[in-house]
Amino acid sequence: MTSYLTRRLAYAIVTFFGITIAIFILIHAVPGDPVSMYAARYGPRSLSRAVLQEIRHRHHLDRPLIMQYGWWLRGVLSLDFGPSVMDGVPVIERIGQRLPNTILLNAVSLLLAAVVGIPMGIFGAAGKRRGGSASSATFLLLYSLPTFWVALLLMRTFSVDHQWLPLYGMTSDDYLLLSPAARIGDRLLHMVLPVVTLTLGQLAMFARFSRASVEEVIGQDYIIAARARGVAPGSLLWQHALRNALIPLITLFGLTVPYLISGSVIVERIFQWDGIGRLYIISILTRDYPTVLGLTVVTAVMTLMASVGADLLYAFADPRIRLDGSADAS
Amino acid sequence: MLPDPSSPPATRGVWSRFRRRPVASISLSFVAFICLVALAAPLVTGPGRFALVHFRPDTIDLGHRLTSPSHEHWLGTDDLGRDLLSRMIHGARVSLAVGLAATFISLVIGSLFGALAGYYGGTIDWCISRLIELVLCFPFLLLVLAIVALFEPSLWTIMIALGLTSWTSEARYVRGEFLRLREEEFAVAARAGGAGDLRIITRHLLPNALAPVLVSASFGVAYAIIVESSLSFLGFGVPLPAPTWGAMLATSEEYLGHAWWLALFPGLAIFSTVIAFNLIGDGFRQALDPQE
Repeated sequence: MTSYLTRRLAYAIVTFFGITIAIFILIHAVPGDPVSMYAARYGPRSLSRAVLQEIRHRHHLDRPLIMQYGWWLRGVLSLDFGPSVMDGVPVIERIGQRLPNTILLNAVSLLLAAVVGIPMGIFGAAGKRRGGSASSATFLLLYSLPTFWVALLLMRTFSVDHQWLPLYGMTSDDYLLLSPAARIGDRLLHMVLPVVTLTLGQLAMFARFSRASVEEVIGQDYIIAARARGVAPGSLLWQHALRNALIPLITLFGLTVPYLISGSVIVERIFQWDGIGRLYIISILTRDYPTVLGLTVVTAVMTLMASVGADLLYAFADPRIRLDGSADAS
Repeated sequence: MLPDPSSPPATRGVWSRFRRRPVASISLSFVAFICLVALAAPLVTGPGRFALVHFRPDTIDLGHRLTSPSHEHWLGTDDLGRDLLSRMIHGARVSLAVGLAATFISLVIGSLFGALAGYYGGTIDWCISRLIELVLCFPFLLLVLAIVALFEPSLWTIMIALGLTSWTSEARYVRGEFLRLREEEFAVAARAGGAGDLRIITRHLLPNALAPVLVSASFGVAYAIIVESSLSFLGFGVPLPAPTWGAMLATSEEYLGHAWWLALFPGLAIFSTVIAFNLIGDGFRQALDPQE
């Protein structure tokens, strides 16, 4: 167990440095250097050559690449991505302000997707002989829905045609005039459509994963042995199989994090939800590279932490790893 | 002549089992139809002799802005009076080109890395596994958005960005297959017969590893089409005025209240193409596994 833990953590540290190197290479693969780009933004002749050289020197851009990487890495490790080009506010502060909004949206939809999707998968596996391919096709159907199309159709139905739910934003215009109870209601109403959109995207993943997991366990010797002893099919599934079939779902929670972040970009852009996904799109549109880089680092590290966390939890939950420690960490 | 030793029975009969599945066969025919229409797009739209739709995708007609589906414009017109069906037929070219090309690139990269990792094992396997872990750490859409935005969006940038970032699942499949196949008798026999590594990898192992990878590739095309249309929707796709399904949906957002056809039909096109590729992948998966 201890050897598994240390190895997994050591790999994570290697991957972290890999992430920083990959991002650093990506920045430098872009044609043109940042200083000339700034100069171009403020007019081609506004800054003299000497001034440009001075700016390059001050930001270490005239040093060898390996030293530039060192400086950059030091910034990353102290969470200092510099000020945003847009408003001069430190990038990490801008991310920090919006991250809770994204987490709120995703936590709720992840929970909903799990609560609905896992039973769907279990029943799909249990009813396989009867309508197995039908449930498989249903999952694929959900899986193939483009997020932004679903969002548009939901908006048209519930906000334009019927005006039951707000079209977009996080709060209504008169939010500050509302009573505290009404404020909570207002926020909840604004959450409904984005949450439903995100949940539909996640649902199929949970259903497919849990179905595959249950099917795999059902094929194992101990289940066949239990069936041979005459254990009723219902108790076979819910008591014998399920306990072991649900353990791999822990890894799914780790695996979904990058999908959640990708989904947030689209959903937050459509519903104008003020989270990091919307910030990312705005930063790319305004060429606010410090924010783009900061968000790329932060989301990659979040994904890495989720995957390591899920692996460690899995190791605690699965006695085969907990007790012998020889499981492959890759 | 001895029978070719490089085709073990596992992959035999996959095609006939695949064809016996109605859903998979219909999906394959649908994709073939869409491909045909996309290839023939300049012929079937516009004033030509074979035209089914008598409007070019870029003919602006401000007198007929946002007209609903009619006998003249089967699927209605957009905000500049352009025929929606004609634009959708041309949009299929972009989606299919990106989907197929990106998947081809990821198939080549993924097979290369997967083969090396699975065949040699050891340090090479360790390094490639770390590389896969690294790529998976970046939320896919953010990475593609960053690459496309940094290097100016174009058909080529999008294909390459998607291909370079989505090879990990193919690599894992090929690696797994290679780990299994390299111990099989025909591989051991080839090695005993004096075949070099390159020959064993390319002639004996790779052809046998490709069937399961086809499943992954089929799902890959579906996902690439979703991402391509997401990029177009967000404004980072193939630049305007090229007709793309995603950009059409972005336009529809402004006219959500009245022009329902603008939101419905392009979305339906994306959805049906994506689900067809997914069902083909699912059909192959089941055909490869005779137990099901």
